Amino acid sequence: MSEPTPTDAALHSDSDILQLVSFEIGPEEYAIPILAVQEINRMMSITRVPNAPESVEGVINLRGRIIPVVDLRKKFGMDVSEDSADTRIIVVEVGDEGRVLGFMVDRVNQVLRLGRDIVDPAPSVSGATSADFIDGVGKLDDRLLILLNLDRLFADTELPETEIAQAA
Amino acid sequence: MNDMDAGLLQDFLTESGELIEQLDQDLVTLESAEGDDQSEVCNACFRALHTIKGAAGFLGLEAVTEFAHAAEDALNKLRKGEVAVTPPVMDLLLQSADVVRGQIEQLAAGDDPQRGDPALIEQLHAVANGTFGDAGAAPTQTDAEGQQSDEASGASGDLPGVPLELGPQKMDLIEFMAADLKEYVNQLDDAIDGIGNDATREESADSLAEIADNLVKTADFFELDDLTKLTQLLLDVAPKLHDAKHDLLDDIVVRVKACRSLIDEQADALENVRALSWPIDTFTQRLATLADGTAVEAGDHGNDVAKVLEIDGVTEVKPEASDDAGPIAKIEPDADSAAAPANAEAAKPEAEQRSGEDRRQGDRRQSAGAAAPEQTIRVEVGRLEELLNLVGQLVLSKNRINGVARDVRDTAGIDPDFAERVGEAAGDLDRLTGELQLGVMRTRMQPLAKLFDRYPRVVRDIARMADKKINLEVEGKETEVDKSVLEALADPLVHILRNSADHGIEPTEDRRGAGKDETGTIRLVAEHQGSHVRVAITDDGKGLNREVLAAKAIERGLTTPDACDKLSDNEVFRFIFEAGFSTAKQVSNLSGRGVGMDVVRTNIAKLNGTINIESKWGEGTTIEILIPLTVAIMPAMVVESKGEQYAIPLQTILEIVRPEDQAISSVQGQRVVRIRDTVLPLVDLRDRLMQPPADPSQRFAVVVKVGGTMAGLVVDRLIGQQEIVIKPLDDSYTQGGPFSGATIREDGQVCLILDVVDVLKSASAQLAKAA
Repeated sequence: MSEPTPTDAALHSDSDILQLVSFEIGPEEYAIPILAVQEINRMMSITRVPNAPESVEGVINLRGRIIPVVDLRKKFGMDVSEDSADTRIIVVEVGDEGRVLGFMVDRVNQVLRLGRDIVDPAPSVSGATSADFIDGVGKLDDRLLILLNLDRLFADTELPETEIAQAA
Repeated sequence: MNDMDAGLLQDFLTESGELIEQLDQDLVTLESAEGDDQSEVCNACFRALHTIKGAAGFLGLEAVTEFAHAAEDALNKLRKGEVAVTPPVMDLLLQSADVVRGQIEQLAAGDDPQRGDPALIEQLHAVANGTFGDAGAAPTQTDAEGQQSDEASGASGDLPGVPLELGPQKMDLIEFMAADLKEYVNQLDDAIDGIGNDATREESADSLAEIADNLVKTADFFELDDLTKLTQLLLDVAPKLHDAKHDLLDDIVVRVKACRSLIDEQADALENVRALSWPIDTFTQRLATLADGTAVEAGDHGNDVAKVLEIDGVTEVKPEASDDAGPIAKIEPDADSAAAPANAEAAKPEAEQRSGEDRRQGDRRQSAGAAAPEQTIRVEVGRLEELLNLVGQLVLSKNRINGVARDVRDTAGIDPDFAERVGEAAGDLDRLTGELQLGVMRTRMQPLAKLFDRYPRVVRDIARMADKKINLEVEGKETEVDKSVLEALADPLVHILRNSADHGIEPTEDRRGAGKDETGTIRLVAEHQGSHVRVAITDDGKGLNREVLAAKAIERGLTTPDACDKLSDNEVFRFIFEAGFSTAKQVSNLSGRGVGMDVVRTNIAKLNGTINIESKWGEGTTIEILIPLTVAIMPAMVVESKGEQYAIPLQTILEIVRPEDQAISSVQGQRVVRIRDTVLPLVDLRDRLMQPPADPSQRFAVVVKVGGTMAGLVVDRLIGQQEIVIKPLDDSYTQGGPFSGATIREDGQVCLILDVVDVLKSASAQLAKAA
């Protein structure tokens, strides 16, 4: 199975335009390739899984399939906030084996097309490897967009809980 | 790989895989069979190899064909009784079966099959030539060689131009190919009859073409010019019959019939290894012309096959001819040239043909079985999985409907009639879903024979290698279990059997010394027990030694001397399931690495099964496995622990009690409860689930038992018993907890299924620490 994953396909294809979904976690705005997104759901009840990694909120029933849900706030080391009416679970497919999981975001903003030329490589912060799962930063007129690499973001359960907020 | 049809290849893989399995079993049976049985089994082996070879040849898989061919030749010698069935020969043949299996597996993996080891092929040739090995072939060697040279001289001149295909050792293939040919010829009849009829002509022409295609392929094998011409002619003519001219039809049909009769004669003659040849040029040309729609001036044949053959000059006009000069030229096997017609000895072959008839009957009986209407169909596993998945979801919906029906009944102010109607409908749905579930489940059931039939080979190999005598008795192999259970059982059973054969059964001298029968016995028994299957492996070997195991367990830090003394024999024996636990002084080729039994426990646990060991030093060991019939759906007790719901497989639950305060006490820091006469350790589910602790009194203790361990699992509340559909919890984020899976509750939420083995394991670890 050497098929490129949706993430790869979107970010590393030759196309000059990236199609992204942007969302907010805390004060930052992030974006992921639209092809990686399976669906976006409203908050639903999540069943806690004891012994799961800290950032794993639990599991949900996605039409008969049990998938884990990750709280990106916890993963990014941010303060945990209350779920609001805007909280969403974005269900994505990552990795070569079609692993499906969901992650919680504070708000889903928009679908946007971004020219590759306005995306800068991830800033390297001295001594930090935390930018591992950042594919780049998109410079919009009024704001910055952090492009996440989902494969790397969810690659390892034992990923150190780095503070991506600072890196950005 | 070349661009062969993927579907064809798949068929080949499935079929050959099954045949190889069968071959394996048959070969082992062959070793112990006697007399007539032996030759029958031998024939079956030969047939299996031959079928594989044929199909592989058709697909152009040379590596497979080459090897299967060599093995077939060797087997042929056994079949004729020219080489005795001895362990070395059987080793060789079993190895060969493994090679072919390997090749098939390579194909399945998408690789090109590798050629067989030349040395192995050489040995097979040696068997075929009667020069194999030492003692094995010795008694019959001279005999075999004598026959060999006879055949060699006979065959070299037999069918000129084809010494390779029909070499001396391959003469017997002819019998099989001739049977095939005969079979196809017989199939022709219906097709030919249909051609005369306007309504069925097209269909018949198609089937004629199909049969002709088979005929051509079979005929190719013999490399007989005339046979090839005739079959090819049929193949060419068949498609043209779709729109054959009506007034020519009689002429055509009678010639097609004539064609059939000639091929038939050749097929019969082949039984006696005779090639026929006729002056058929006129005949073939006329039939071809007719098929193209041009009339042929030949003369009146009166729709008589014999007559038309005369008219077309195939047979001589000899009205009364029968015995003295046969109508058809026959070539003796040792004739110099196939083309040379010989009229002599026509009568003798006739007689031989008739005697050959009886033999052929036998062959035909088998093919008749295949022609019977099919009672089974092959279904892709994926479709069944899908179906099962749907039924699983249906069961969940049903549960929800039942929940709603209960609510309706319990809600005040609702018309009781209405509530009853809803209840009835829900009840019906419940029953139907149950039946549907059972039905779908059955489609996935397979007999344990699929596994059990492999084991004689496993045990035999170990016995051979360790130089022991072991007899494997198998019972209840018709017991059916779910496909996934079957698959998950495969490895554990092999490990247990290996253990029994390698470590359990003593060497022959030791057994003699102990006054036991020299031949050790391993019994493999399967039976249904309610919704479970019980598989027991019993050996009459040396049994497990408590002292040795205990010492080892203490050495490895699995327990302490004090704690160990308190353990029952059964509990001590269970240490063999720990990873890396091996008391074998030497790691043998077969076992002793301490990995196997760990696999056993893990796999059985995955199936929600339990495993028990009983053993008596010096008398033997019984390992008993109890597994649910299916892994997809199971009854469970749903419990609550601090507001969260968890399911406990019902099969592990012995009883549920509400311990009174005075029954709970503490032994060395471990809470225990006294229930009747037993003192059980209490495991608070809250501890295991990292919830804040609560006092065990006023709560429920679910008494669970897995393997030899029993404990009371303390929960807050009981929700009720339910059929739950097991969903995998296979994401790396959610693994690691004491859960075997998850299920979906009536309200659509996820409920985790407790892995009781895991829960108790960590509890007993705590126990050990406390002690």
